[in-house]
Amino acid sequence: MSDPAVQASHLGKAFGTRQVLDDLSFEVAPGDVIGVLGKNGAGKTTLLELMLGFTPPTAGTVSVFGQASQQLSAGNKARVGFVPQQDELIDQLSVADQLKVIASFYPHWDGEFIDRLCGEWGVNPAARIKSLSVGERQKLSILLAFGHRPELLVLDEPVASLDPMARRQFLEQLVEASMDGNSSVIFSSHIVSDIERLANRIWILKDARLAWQGDLDSLKECVVRLHIRGGAETLEAMAISGELSRRRDGDFMTVVVRDFTPAMQADLRGRHGVDVEVESLGLEEIFLELHR
Amino acid sequence: MRAIARLVYSYFTSTPLTRALSVGGLVLCAASLLVLTSLPQSEHMLAVAYAGLLAFFLGSAFMPLMVGKLSRGHAARLLPHGRVKLLVSMMLTVALVALPAGLLTPFAYVAGVSGKWSDLQRNPQLLDFTINLGWVIFTSSCILAGWLYLAMYFITSQRNVAGFAKGLLVVVIIIVVPTREVNDLSATTSSNLLKLAVAWLVFGGLYLVWPRLKGAMANWRIPGLPFFGASSRTSGREVDLILGTANPWVYIAAQVVPVFIATFTGLASAAIWLYFLAIMSAVTGAVSGQAAERSRALWLRSGWSRAELFAQVEKSFWRHNSFMLGVLLLLMVGMGSYSGFPTSLLAAGLPLLILGTVLSTYLGLMITRGLGWTESLLGISIMLALMAVPLLLQAQNPNLVLVAAIEFKLLLLSLVLRIWARRRWTHIDWTQCRPSRVASARNA
Repeated sequence: MSDPAVQASHLGKAFGTRQVLDDLSFEVAPGDVIGVLGKNGAGKTTLLELMLGFTPPTAGTVSVFGQASQQLSAGNKARVGFVPQQDELIDQLSVADQLKVIASFYPHWDGEFIDRLCGEWGVNPAARIKSLSVGERQKLSILLAFGHRPELLVLDEPVASLDPMARRQFLEQLVEASMDGNSSVIFSSHIVSDIERLANRIWILKDARLAWQGDLDSLKECVVRLHIRGGAETLEAMAISGELSRRRDGDFMTVVVRDFTPAMQADLRGRHGVDVEVESLGLEEIFLELHR
Repeated sequence: MRAIARLVYSYFTSTPLTRALSVGGLVLCAASLLVLTSLPQSEHMLAVAYAGLLAFFLGSAFMPLMVGKLSRGHAARLLPHGRVKLLVSMMLTVALVALPAGLLTPFAYVAGVSGKWSDLQRNPQLLDFTINLGWVIFTSSCILAGWLYLAMYFITSQRNVAGFAKGLLVVVIIIVVPTREVNDLSATTSSNLLKLAVAWLVFGGLYLVWPRLKGAMANWRIPGLPFFGASSRTSGREVDLILGTANPWVYIAAQVVPVFIATFTGLASAAIWLYFLAIMSAVTGAVSGQAAERSRALWLRSGWSRAELFAQVEKSFWRHNSFMLGVLLLLMVGMGSYSGFPTSLLAAGLPLLILGTVLSTYLGLMITRGLGWTESLLGISIMLALMAVPLLLQAQNPNLVLVAAIEFKLLLLSLVLRIWARRRWTHIDWTQCRPSRVASARNA
């Protein structure tokens, strides 16, 4: 197995007395496409910035390509691409000049690839950056992170300002980038359908911790909605482990649980004599249920 | 090396204005070299060289802004050797900007002394002296250019009280240190090189470790403790709070501190004081440059038409700027009485400070579509005119008619700028003056 691109152990970050992230441990393997989900202020941006060494952790350690993220060598920096939430473009430059400035720092900038993407995404290299729309600026930020073909691509809400067409093109490029199996992609987004379509692993941040980290299929198998039919009194008294929410209507009840196993279904049937049906949930519903 | 070359090239050529200034500056420097070596000399001949040097420096004026933007963002943290290359590009730019002055000075000296180049071959001491003079001017120009870039960086990148105060402090240092050295003729190449080495070592060291230092400081931050530069003012008129004009006293403190320091560093010449205060008066008014982008919230909250909005914004900035101007006038009168400044200097200086504030206030209000060619050229012209008056007053028999004429023209210009600003505000389009992304990111 290849070395992990990112490795964190008991990572924590506090701003004053406010604990934003607490005791996070994870690994990002080559080929992983990780979607980071969390409410506003959950610490998604802080997590991504900690990972890349933009801010020091207050607890634990994090390394990128086996090197402490705060002390990344130039060689390892050249293997990382980052798209920040707020673009950092220089308004006075033209698109082509901004691309040339950033390209000049990398020994292996793929100019042809960027030229092709500029054409496909409708980014005019001659345009002044200050004249670009928010979406066009975001496209350019993504191009700047793509050009050196990074092995680790970290994107902080990259599609928030893109139209559906550009979003689709961007997601296709991300898939292409991760298809070679050597590149890792970590991206945060509020557009759950994009994460569902693209990510093979999900991180859900809640109360400063990773409420879930694992592959999407496992998440969908664990967090399910149970449709239970039985006597009203039985349903009233029924206690179910890992229960997230419950709604009862006479002799019918729906319960969302977070640690479902097939054995649980058999156990409920056997112990309470109720009829149990299992419904899989979409990622958006799972996210909402986990945040109730 | 490729990155450094690209950065330096971008500093000089990134916008049509800087490109024109850089090329124009080089052409003028080359022309002045031709003039110095081939034509009979007069004082006016040097004007070509001065214009070339100034244009070439202004051509690189984009450097502090671009370095600031790249350094503050995440990009420089992930660019391979990002900060080191940015630092080297800054040093190279300073050297490039100072080079024409160093090269032209020996020619100007020889042309001024004898005008015969054969003297250099016959007199080895003269040759050594001119070469040494070139080195002294080159290294002095490096120091001066470095300070000027630093002031520009603070004023353009931190559009708040902290940036204003830091910029003014640097202006004090620029005015006090290099002018004293020019007067005393005490600078030598070795002393200049030592100063440059110390300055660049300190600046370079701080620049390279700043991200880690900042990260460490973030961890020491005590919650609830206000920071210098962050506005904590929460009471006052709504219009003032939105426009950021609710509290002039912080700006006044930012003005008084550099003046206080300058007093102790021995700034004696009345004309230099006027020069210094004229720059301050212009910076005082320049805070109105943020009015357009901030006024959108005001327009959405109030029922004012665009014309009424302009009237309210104008009133708000005058409430704010008049306090700052008042303090500048008091400082001028106080220092004038204490140090016995000539009456002519006070008589011409007081209206000059008022005009500086008025002009920069309306120039700032004119910026409703970002900083373009017109505003930049107007800004440069106004600054040059404001700086010319103290220089004229410095002469033994100052031409007061010329001074009065300049001030009268500046008064007319201020009326024109007000009409222009008012007209622009009646058609203001807030999609053309979006709030600074950096500022909004910082606030977020």
